[in-house]
Amino acid sequence: MTPTIPMMKVLGTVSLACGLLIVVSNVTTLARIRQNQEIIMRESVTNLLPGLKKQIIYGVEPSGDLKILPSVEGENVKRFFAGYDDSGKFLGVAIEASERGYADLISAMYSYLPDKNIVSGFQVVDMRETPGLGSRIGTDENFQKNFKALDATHPIKTVKHGTKANPWEIDAISGATISSRAVGRMLQKSVQEMSPIIEKNLDRIKRGN
Amino acid sequence: MSDNAPSCHSSGPAPAADNPFLNGLWKQNPVFVQVLGMCPTLAITNSVRNAIAMGLATTFVLTGSNCMISVVRKLVPKQVRIATFIAIIATMVTVVDYLVKAISIPVYKALGAYIPLIVANCIILERAEAYAARKPVWKSTMDGLGMGLGFAFALSCLGTVREVLGAGTWLGIPLFGPNFEPWVLFLLPPGGFISLALWLLTFATWRDRKAKREIAKAKAQEEKMHEEQLAVHA
Repeated sequence: MTPTIPMMKVLGTVSLACGLLIVVSNVTTLARIRQNQEIIMRESVTNLLPGLKKQIIYGVEPSGDLKILPSVEGENVKRFFAGYDDSGKFLGVAIEASERGYADLISAMYSYLPDKNIVSGFQVVDMRETPGLGSRIGTDENFQKNFKALDATHPIKTVKHGTKANPWEIDAISGATISSRAVGRMLQKSVQEMSPIIEKNLDRIKRGN
Repeated sequence: MSDNAPSCHSSGPAPAADNPFLNGLWKQNPVFVQVLGMCPTLAITNSVRNAIAMGLATTFVLTGSNCMISVVRKLVPKQVRIATFIAIIATMVTVVDYLVKAISIPVYKALGAYIPLIVANCIILERAEAYAARKPVWKSTMDGLGMGLGFAFALSCLGTVREVLGAGTWLGIPLFGPNFEPWVLFLLPPGGFISLALWLLTFATWRDRKAKREIAKAKAQEEKMHEEQLAVHA
């Protein structure tokens, strides 16, 4: 005869114990994980804006206004980093963006120079793309060259490897087209969304208040 | 390969061994002898660092799940045996996912999708079924630790060949001069298969020679005893 009650008891107890273990692990590691993510973001900003000495994190309110954030907190907050050199001169902004890639969500940061309307750098923060193929969007030097001065006045798009003809096009990585296209979509969506907000508040951002 | 390599989903008998730790580490090495866990073995061994990190993550899951399964083994009705084991293994994988993310983001980024996939690594369910569900806690924990470290050792061996030939580095340290042209094939999937084949061949050859030496030694002893017996009779 099927031992229904013992089965329920065992599965219930094991599930409860497993759930508790997961919750304890999550609570124990959460602060450290957030700390690591903040370190990575700040490092990305430093890499993306050469000469950076000071950075301010701006959060975007639903009305389109900005507020200064004390740290990188919150999952669904729209935010960007404004960078300044040692004399307080505005260098540009580093913006968070994400898009669905081949395996999972690709999270990245890119630098945007509002005066020139160009994307001047791109760095992957988190991804699960295929190692050795899609993961090259974060490491391939030739792919990174696309973002030296990517024109944001036109819609940014990814083109087949070796066919880039315009400054607003991204030359895809051969064998990693899906991940490369995801980067193009990510930048286009993000620039389209963030550039009007930055434009509107540019004087305030330049003053750093 | 080995005749006594257990099937991925079978609950075959646990291999006889005096020391469960050494058994997993060497005699029944999950990669070189049992040829299990091939997905991570081929996928993440393009660098030694990734191989060590995946090996240690799997060791943590194997040790923890073997220990927990052994604790509850007498209480679990056989009808919900696999469901219980999977719940425990998935929990350990989730814990290791959080730990890796908290300890090192670069390693977490490098291992990518493979950490959640540890749950589907057949070494873990095989050890749960074949060993932890039948043996006491201490022996099961040692078995998990041995198998995990054996897996880490095997991944490191593959990672070494692939990183040295494919990138000219070991653990990121450059080994050759600027004139070295990396053999990029070894960082790509075919390189994984080639490296695995070379290691399996090396291991099989070594085991074969060892077995032949032991047979020859036994024969020589037998002949010596026979000669001694003849001498006594004479």
